This record gives sequence, C-alpha cells and structure tokens, in this order.
Amino acid sequence: MGKIEVHALRDVSFSVERGDFSIIIGPSGSGKSTLLQILGCLDRPSSGEILIEEKTINTLKDRELSVVRNRKIGFVFQRFNLLNNMTALENVELPMIYAKASMKERKNKAKELLELVGLGDRMNHKPSELSGGQQQRVAIARALANDPAFVLADEPTGNLDTKSGEEILGIFHKLNDMGKTLVIVTHDMDMVGEGNKVVHIRDGLIEKISSGGVV
Amino acid sequence: MEILRETIRSLLSNKLRTFLSMLGIIIGIASVITVMSLGEGTTANIKETVSSLGSNVLSIYPGFSGGRGGFIAQRITSSTKYEDAQYIKDSAPHIINAAPIVEGYNTLKFNDYSYSAEGVGTTPEIKDIVNMTVESGSFFTQEDIDNMSNYIVLGSTVAENLFEQANPLGQKVYVITSLGKVAFTVIGVLKEQGSSIMLDIDNAYFMPYTTADARIFHENGNASMILAKASSEEETELAQIELDFLLYGLLGNENSYRISSQNTMLEAISQITGVMTFILVAIAAISLVVGGIGIMNIMLVSVSERTREIGIKMALGASRSRILLEFLFESIILTFIAGIIGVSLGTGLSNLIAGFAAQYDLKSITTVGSVLVSFGVSSGVGLFFGIYPARKASKLSPIEALRYE
Repeated sequence: MGKIEVHALRDVSFSVERGDFSIIIGPSGSGKSTLLQILGCLDRPSSGEILIEEKTINTLKDRELSVVRNRKIGFVFQRFNLLNNMTALENVELPMIYAKASMKERKNKAKELLELVGLGDRMNHKPSELSGGQQQRVAIARALANDPAFVLADEPTGNLDTKSGEEILGIFHKLNDMGKTLVIVTHDMDMVGEGNKVVHIRDGLIEKISSGGVV
Repeated sequence: MEILRETIRSLLSNKLRTFLSMLGIIIGIASVITVMSLGEGTTANIKETVSSLGSNVLSIYPGFSGGRGGFIAQRITSSTKYEDAQYIKDSAPHIINAAPIVEGYNTLKFNDYSYSAEGVGTTPEIKDIVNMTVESGSFFTQEDIDNMSNYIVLGSTVAENLFEQANPLGQKVYVITSLGKVAFTVIGVLKEQGSSIMLDIDNAYFMPYTTADARIFHENGNASMILAKASSEEETELAQIELDFLLYGLLGNENSYRISSQNTMLEAISQITGVMTFILVAIAAISLVVGGIGIMNIMLVSVSERTREIGIKMALGASRSRILLEFLFESIILTFIAGIIGVSLGTGLSNLIAGFAAQYDLKSITTVGSVLVSFGVSSGVGLFFGIYPARKASKLSPIEALRYE
C-alpha cells in the first residue's frame, strides 16, 4: 500500500513584488494551506519552482531552508503561536537568536519593533498576560525581526474580535506604507478590499488575479 | 550560550517534574558515591592498620595440617622454636632482627580490677621490629630473659583499664592461668599505637619470653610465631625467600611453617575490599540506568508536549540541529545537576554512616576520582538517554508540528 499522491495545487503561478500587499483568498479546501506551506518554505513543492529574490528554494537542503525561513520570511499565524514561557520581548528576539545577532542588537531591535506595533509598555509581559490582539501584534513584531523579504500571514485576524482584527489590519497597512511586502492568506472575503493584488484560488487552481481596491 | 539559557528556562518552567526526573539519577549517584567512599575508607583503614607494624615485617607461623586441632598439635610438637629467632637473625642476610613470640589470652588482675588481654612472651628485639615506644618506665632486657624476671610491660589500653588514673609503674599485677596466678611487677607502659593485623599492641602485655613460657604458657620453647624484620621494604621479598630456604633446611618440611608478609596480607585484603566495592558500585549503578530510563521517558513526554513549540521554532528558522541540541542539553543539564546533588548527598551520607559506625573504625574517603567519575557517568547517562528523544524532536516535520494540537 503506497501513498496516493494528491495534488493540492496545480499550475499555480504568480509573483509578489517588493512593496506589494497581496491577499491570497479561497474557501477552505482550496489548497491555500498547501500554498502557504510552500510559500513559507516549510515544505518543498513536488514540482514547480519557488523563487525568493530571484533565488530558487527547490534545491535547498533542510538546513538552508531553515535559514531562508529565518531571514527571508516573517510568519504571522492565526493562533499567534507565541512561546508561552517567554516574555513579549524574548519572543521577538527569538528569530534574531537563530540569526546569531548579538544580545545588544537583539534587545534594541526587539524594543523598536514592539514600540512600532504599539506594545512599548508590554514588553516584559508573557503571552498569557496579553489580549489576543496584543499577542498578534507581538507576533507581527516577531515576524519583522530579521527584516524579511516578506511577511506571510495565515488568517491573521481569524482568532480575533472585529475591533482587534481591524487594529491588526491597520498595523499591516502601516507596515505596507513603510515599504514592507505582505502576503496574507485568508478565506475571509471581506479582506479582498485590503490588498493591491488579490489571488483567488479554488480547488487548487488560480481562479483569477485581480488588483485590489484600496492601495 | 543562548541554547543553554533556553534549556534552563524550559527546565525551570516545570520545576516539580524536573526534580522528580532528576531523583533517579540523584539516588543513583548518591549511592555510588556512598559505596565508593566507604570502600575507599575501609581500604585506607586496612592499609593503615597493616603498615602500622611496618611493611618490612615478616611473620613465621608454625604450619598446620587442617583445622584448629592441627594448628595446636603442630605448635606443641614441632616447628618454630624460641632459638629459631636468633638463628634466623644470624643466618638470613636480609633479616636484621627477629623475635620469638609465645602468646595466650589471659586475665590480668590488679587489686579489684581485672582485664583480659593478649599475653605476649617475647624478647627485647620486638620493640625494634614493630616500632613500639615505651611511654613510661622501661622495656625488659636480655638480662631479664636470662634471669626469668617477673617483669611486665603493659599496652596502653591494658594500662588504662587496669589502673585508670593511678601510676602502674612498680605495681604488682597477677596473670591468672588455669593453674593459679603469677605475680609480675609493672616496669613499663607502652605508647598508644593503634591496632595492626598481626599484633594488637595496645591491647596486649609483654613479658620476658622465658618467664612467660615457664610460668604461664608451658610450651617448652615452642613459639606461637616469630616476627622478623627485613633490612628494608624493598628487600622484604628477598628476605622472605631467604627465610623459606632457612626454615626448609631447619624443619625439612614445607608444611611445618608459614611465612606471611604485610604486603601479601595487604594485597589479599585489598583485593577482597576491591571486589566488594566493585560489586556494590555495580548494584548502585543499576539505579543509574533506571534513572536514565526515567529521564528518557520524561524527555519523550516533553517532546510530544512541546511539538507545537518545536514547530514554531522551526518556522522561525531554528535548524534541526538546533532543536536536537536544545533537547540534548536539557537532558544533559538535568543529569549534570542531578550529579551535583547526588555527589553532595552521597558525600554527606557516607560521612553520616561513617559517623554512626565510628566504633567499627569505619571511615569515609571521597576521592576526586570518584566525584569525577560520577559527573562523567551522570552526564553520560543524560547524553545516552537524551539522544533518542532529541533526535525524535529534530526529525519532526515543521508543518505537522505546527498543526499539532
């Protein structure tokens, strides 16, 4: 009994430019999770190619992939995924530890980023002492720690109430205005209007790519 | 450095579990240290006892063929005699001194005090052979032997028990024998020396050989043993060969005498204590293995509990080797700390036991070697039993780890 190969994605081809605010949107089961994993370099595609800053990641070894994840990609998850036994500051420092930054560099950068997301007064709080919206802001600060090529967010507002969700979106827009590249994966059709490029996928195929309304 | 901090953080985040998983190793190391320390102490004790006589002393016993009866029969009928000591001293080039000994266990009496100890009839040469020092008064002389004087020299313990605070010198004491009592005058008291295997000097009293044989032991010149001193420690073996040669020539039968040296006794005893210590350490080491399995178990639980955390770390760019090291460090630090606690606990425990058993002269010596070995072993246990869980953690797929609930 071998494994049956199921192709979650077929013929998906698009590009994200520097400074883009892209939304990848699709209902559940559309293959967007698989796309997210491949974009996030958590997995390699069985065929096709991913290029980040003109460099292919297909041929990279596990070790090199972890370096790409560390330096080029900033993850923001639906469930925040902060480490509970660390303070907000330490959570933001973590990717910089993997990047072997010095302690002083790390502390300064982490403080700067937490102030950027409006948590300057909550740096030494543990995740359990923060609200969902605050936790997600820590996660965003963490995603920016190593100045990645792009921030990859998976349903970033999915676990938040409307008000907190709007605050998070506000932060994303602020970051985009600062020139950060964002890729947001969601099933929430309300998000369509937020980005400058919207990739609709359904059943593993790209349905259409449209330019968004606002930006 | 960062890995270390990370590790300590995660160990501290669940203190009770950390402590409980360390407990097995702590107990294991503590028992190993205890056993090793007491074993070392015992061996040192024995060595001290043996060498207190001087390691160049040889003792010659009448041989015997089987059983206690054989021993007594042999002593009465043949072999080592009073005159043999002088003969040995004169004939063996590497024997510089020899003294015959006739001995028996008798009660000493002074006024209302009585005390039982080893009575020894010998010659003045004994003083030099076993390095005894006269604290007060004097030892008997060759003249006293020739005259069969009723003089007695007391070991320190004997003097204490018989006279307490009083001055024993010049006092009359009686040696009680099966035929009556024999009066002696105390002419000397020996300095405390500590017991030895061949002769417990503190707990004995000494009389001119001729007097002791004629009045108390009635052996007719048959010596219980002869103590001989080799010219130096290095030449003891050579002296033993010479003795063997002489005695064979004298007695014509290799079964009618036995020669033993301090070294052969020491070796035999060290071997026994060595084997005993080894067996006990081996038993104690089993608890280390059990402790190690406990560590492995807890690390496996920890890996599956922290699967999501591992996934997050991998997504943030932690390499597999980094995850592996984090978990490996955790188990090594766990066992290393357990080692520290175990060593201090074991040292304390062995000293405590030695304290309680002080009357048996039990000593505890914790050597640097045994401490280092313990640290090595406990860290090794952490490494060995930590590798599998750590590898398991590092082999996780980041996607599945992230999805883990």
